[in-house]
Amino acid sequence: MSMREKDIREANMSLWRDAWRRLKARRSAAACLLVVGAYALLALYGEGVYWYYYLRDETPPYNRVNLEAQYLPPSVFRAPFRMPAGAASPEGWRMHLVRLRFGLRNLLRHPLGTDGLGRDVLQRTIQGARIAFQVGIVTSLIAIPIGLVLGLIAGYFGGRVDDVIVWLYSTFASIPGLLFILAVAMVVGRGLTGVYLGIGLTTWVGLCRLIRGEVIKHRGRPYVEAARALGFGHVRIMFRHILPNVFHIVLVTFTLRFPAAVNTEVIMSFLGIGVQGEPSWGIMISNARLRLWHGIWWELAAATVAIFGIVLAFNLLGDALRDALDPRLRTGRT
Amino acid sequence: MTGYIVRRTLQMVPTVGGVILITFVLFNVVGGSPAAMTLGKHVSPQLLEEFDEQRGFNKPLIWGWWAVTRAHPDAFFPEDPGLWRDHLADVGRGAEDAGYLAVGPGELRIPLAFSLRPGTRYRWIMEFGHPPRSRIGLIMRNAVPQGVSSAEPGSTGQLVRLAVRGRKTVVDFTVTGKDPSFVLRIEGRESLRSIRLRRRMPHPWDSQLFFYLRQLCPVIFLRERDESGRGGVRLKWKGIDLGYSYSTNQRVSRMLLDGLVPSLTLTIPIFIGGLICGVLAALLCAYFRDTMLDRLFVVLSVALMSINYLVWIVGGQYLLGYRLGWFPVWGYESWSYLLLPVIIGILRGLGADIRFYRTVMLDEMYRDYVRTAEAKGVSRPGILFRHVLKNAMIPIITTTVIAIPFLYTGSLLLESFFGIPGLGYMGVNAINSSDVDVVRALVLIGSVMYVLANLLTDVCYALVDPRVRLR
Repeated sequence: MSMREKDIREANMSLWRDAWRRLKARRSAAACLLVVGAYALLALYGEGVYWYYYLRDETPPYNRVNLEAQYLPPSVFRAPFRMPAGAASPEGWRMHLVRLRFGLRNLLRHPLGTDGLGRDVLQRTIQGARIAFQVGIVTSLIAIPIGLVLGLIAGYFGGRVDDVIVWLYSTFASIPGLLFILAVAMVVGRGLTGVYLGIGLTTWVGLCRLIRGEVIKHRGRPYVEAARALGFGHVRIMFRHILPNVFHIVLVTFTLRFPAAVNTEVIMSFLGIGVQGEPSWGIMISNARLRLWHGIWWELAAATVAIFGIVLAFNLLGDALRDALDPRLRTGRT
Repeated sequence: MTGYIVRRTLQMVPTVGGVILITFVLFNVVGGSPAAMTLGKHVSPQLLEEFDEQRGFNKPLIWGWWAVTRAHPDAFFPEDPGLWRDHLADVGRGAEDAGYLAVGPGELRIPLAFSLRPGTRYRWIMEFGHPPRSRIGLIMRNAVPQGVSSAEPGSTGQLVRLAVRGRKTVVDFTVTGKDPSFVLRIEGRESLRSIRLRRRMPHPWDSQLFFYLRQLCPVIFLRERDESGRGGVRLKWKGIDLGYSYSTNQRVSRMLLDGLVPSLTLTIPIFIGGLICGVLAALLCAYFRDTMLDRLFVVLSVALMSINYLVWIVGGQYLLGYRLGWFPVWGYESWSYLLLPVIIGILRGLGADIRFYRTVMLDEMYRDYVRTAEAKGVSRPGILFRHVLKNAMIPIITTTVIAIPFLYTGSLLLESFFGIPGLGYMGVNAINSSDVDVVRALVLIGSVMYVLANLLTDVCYALVDPRVRLR
């Protein structure tokens, strides 16, 4: 295929197809997409487990207390793998192999160890993924419509309406972030609702500002004028004509907001105004913090690695998406 | 230039007003009185009322003549009988009288949680389940009815015949003595749907919003009249009243002043250290651009960004403080206590900083003036330090100046985990104990500082760039 043919094909591609092609071409982005998908599946599984036990009115396994299995380390560090002292002799080796064979079934239980109440760390980590996804999605469902609609209205109508909306978001923007979120959660009450509203009602500002700026650019474009000349209503022009042209901003904002929301939820749960009675990553860290002093590191490690993975994947994915969707916003030139 | 500064300063006013409005909506409209939350559940209603009185929570929200009082919380029998819990057995459950309190014939004492205030006007509003067919009276002791003609003195108080319109009856009265009591006298069998008590405000604008605004307004207007009757208004400085913390029993303004120094000793080193480290790393990236080192920094910064703040704190405390024993873990006694939180604070912010500064620097690297300098034979470090750094500092300074106001709140998490008695520590404690006044003050002051820093940045910009002024 000659260079020219390729150019023509690229020119004929829609923005979204082009973006998808760019995203796939970047191997790290594809890997991140896989990671996010894996987390989403785990979260779905966690949701299923939660509802299964909720409907049967039983204590779910991740909350089941088993004092006989307190502080069990991850199975790799447990007995059959770890050689007992003085087992270096051939006889010891054979015993070790025998125990390894019979111990395998035991190893499948609590692969990531247990916490101070004998609760399975792996199960709790999966439940944490469930909470994280809930928070990420619900807060986005609150923040994105607010930011989107206000941004569209402000950018499209301009004038007084614009002034009022700009005033509103600059007011929200001037309030210190985390403090504002915590204050909203304090007023609304402890629990997930507080987390949703706290994060959702305070983080629409960035999106609103971006959308407004972009819509102002589009307002004077010929296609909008054509739509106006055809007599279409304001709502139709805003949502059917302009919105698809600025929607990539929503997507990028969502991927960058998601990890921020997860991190904030972790902090709120840690401070005790987040999730109550469910294992979130923040609660796991909060529980594990003091046990760490006694060398019980696995609970903290599980939560840390879980948070790190999802946040890293979303951060990289957000960058890749931004590069793929909006050439003007590209980070750096490399 | 002066005109620009004045214009820009005036633009601050709506934003600050908006912040005041948002805090009002958040804490007064949505939140309501925090009395039960702060004082606990098993406190007498009188204490709760005193708490509300002190903070203006027993006033109407924005405008109104009548305010709710805790002396008699609204009794709505279908849902919440309020103080009438003893009479629950008489609440009907049939189709005809569902949720109505059956009363009469006879006398029924209206329960009050505490004595009403002498000299104040109140109003009873009663609603019946069905239009009453018999005469209904209210016997008042130590209270004088208002606008009711047929009051007759009785042995235990004044008997007022209630005029019922449809299902509703309203009676106004003024409390004259201590411990007024009210007894309903009903001649037939009737059903009550709700009983409400309202307190009359001296002025309809005497509301929560204006109470709040008056607290924040640093001056009071004194109206003076001399002998000749000529009036004048005098301004008196009273300072901004940020309220009173319930959990520590201190004025909030006092607490803010006390907490400011520890906060700043923590955040200023973090701010400066982070700026220097970030710019140095970005310079390295720009110098070695498109090499392994640059790529390593990019990967590192994304990785640093993805580590949760909590993990930094917990891990840092455990590894550096406890395991290696290099730093003290908790307290605020000497400068060595600040080292670990400062290091953690710098590390945490470094990822995002490096990424941003690097982008800015690389953007500059491809400008024409860099090519000119190269052509002229300026060495690479020379270009970097003398040309690129200067130009790149403009966006860097802008973003960092905007971050300055957030220094004052300190770092909520760092302070509470390292036991540094600053504003962040205070904030976390206040949120945990639902200390509304403290949280509100922190939000308010933080926002005002942000607006001021914004103003400062814009003015500096205008000083540097004349084009800004003309817009």
